[in-house]
Amino acid sequence: MGVKRNVGLFTALGYKGGATMWTYIFHRLGGVALFIFFSMYILVLAGVSPVNTIFYDRSFQIVILFLGLFHAINGLRITMLDLWPAGLEYMPQAVRVEGVVLLLVYGFVLFVILGG
Amino acid sequence: MQAVKPRTLPLFKRGLNFETAMWFLARLSVLAIYGFMLAGILGGLVVSAQTHTNLAEVLRWAFFPNQTGNPLGAMPWVSMLAKIMVIAFIAVVSWHGVHGILVIADDYIADLTAQRWYHKAMIGYAVVVNVIAVYVIWKA
Repeated sequence: MGVKRNVGLFTALGYKGGATMWTYIFHRLGGVALFIFFSMYILVLAGVSPVNTIFYDRSFQIVILFLGLFHAINGLRITMLDLWPAGLEYMPQAVRVEGVVLLLVYGFVLFVILGG
Repeated sequence: MQAVKPRTLPLFKRGLNFETAMWFLARLSVLAIYGFMLAGILGGLVVSAQTHTNLAEVLRWAFFPNQTGNPLGAMPWVSMLAKIMVIAFIAVVSWHGVHGILVIADDYIADLTAQRWYHKAMIGYAVVVNVIAVYVIWKA
């Protein structure tokens, strides 16, 4: 059930939750972006061709890949720590490892997209 | 050094209610997504090697089955297996996605009547999307 928090956007963003808070925010942003992407994909499958042109737009690819990769890598960390609760004690280290993996994979993806 | 007291309940002490089941299914569905992606890439490698098809063609067909010719046409059983896998992948992704959107929306929308309506709308959307996907992929 939802609750009324009465907290403004800027107040919420001012919360000093550190890297863990930002992973939470970006995970949600990534989830919404991937859901939009999924809906567009179904439209392309159904033969709605104008959507296809958006798929080939480089800026769209760069943004959606960042959000998608972030969601996938962060989701893997969340799943691993959820299924192995003792690992929650090492959350800050896990977030740092996640950041390094994201940088490496996204760097490679950027190299392929921009180089291709 | 004093032992750190765990701040979470072990899995077997959490009890099986609706919330726990949905939490667990959200994790299971994401593991299934990773599994399908891995199987898809491995399958693409095997099929491209056996049919002398460019791997890029196989992957393009897997992602956009109605856009290009089906490189699996020469291998009917593999083609059928691939279709079932893509359909299952879309089913799992839509389930995970709809569940995620509902979790986010429930956090910001407190009105219970509104919640009931968009819950039904999102589940209906997932059903329609899956019907379209099954039709397009099976006919590809």
